[in-house]
Amino acid sequence: MIEALSRALMQLATCCLGEGRREWAFAMQAEFEEAAEARTPFSFACGCLIAAWGELPRHAEGRLGIVSHVLVLGLLIPLAFLQLGCGLGLSTGHGGFDVGLGPGGPQDPYLASPQLTAMPALHILWLMLGAAHLHLAWVLLERDWDRVVKAGALIAAATLTLFIFMEVLLLDTGTLMVLAAELAIETGFILALARWHARIFPNTAPATTGW
Amino acid sequence: MGRNRRPSKQMLLLLEVLSAHPQQWRHGYDLMKETGLLSGTLYPLLMRMTEQGLVEAEWREPEQLGRPARHVYRLTAAGVTLAQATARSNATPDQGFALA
Repeated sequence: MIEALSRALMQLATCCLGEGRREWAFAMQAEFEEAAEARTPFSFACGCLIAAWGELPRHAEGRLGIVSHVLVLGLLIPLAFLQLGCGLGLSTGHGGFDVGLGPGGPQDPYLASPQLTAMPALHILWLMLGAAHLHLAWVLLERDWDRVVKAGALIAAATLTLFIFMEVLLLDTGTLMVLAAELAIETGFILALARWHARIFPNTAPATTGW
Repeated sequence: MGRNRRPSKQMLLLLEVLSAHPQQWRHGYDLMKETGLLSGTLYPLLMRMTEQGLVEAEWREPEQLGRPARHVYRLTAAGVTLAQATARSNATPDQGFALA
């Protein structure tokens, strides 16, 4: 069990060291076998992982990885959970909605019925947005730019659909505007990351995206 | 691009161990055991010292079948010079060091 965990840590360390330090990663892997034989694989693997993390800011690929993780953990994941919260009816404060928030309000019997009828569809749209953001976070960390574009297109389409539905139903779209601004910021960051990735790995630049 | 910087305690320890037998190639795990440094300290140090031209590294065929090739390390001429300078500085501690 400990050895399996240690091997997983060594794999993680190898990934963190990046292409520029591939030789050192292999050197660590080879010495890990000695450490495993001497029954000290875990401390050795932890040390290698700490060393690899320490090397991250020293090479471009590592810096790209750090910034990608900051973007994902600091923006995409919180946004995804907010949207999932809206979809599950847990939040109405941030882009959420209920019938009472509409300008017509609950006092308007003509609007209450269609608004209530549309609620399941709107909840599904929010859930889709949240799920798409989680997917976007995953593919962004994998640097799979084709799937990043697809996830981005899905998010844009879902946001637009949500906006149209909420406008038609006279629901409060003010908070959706905040979401749109967040999406614009997020898109800017992702475009910058894609360009940075293309500079570091010119041979694997996203050909289909035109970035 | 030399600049005077005093080597760290860990680097001095590694220099001392490597300079004991400057011609001898040493494995990373053996260096860990001999210096008492952890892998998280030893490898970044070896990387820096290799980049500074103080240590050279090469691959060696495994001694046991089925094992991966291992990296071995030894001091370069510049590394030996620095090791000698640090040894001398024990007598005159204020002396500076020029790292490449």
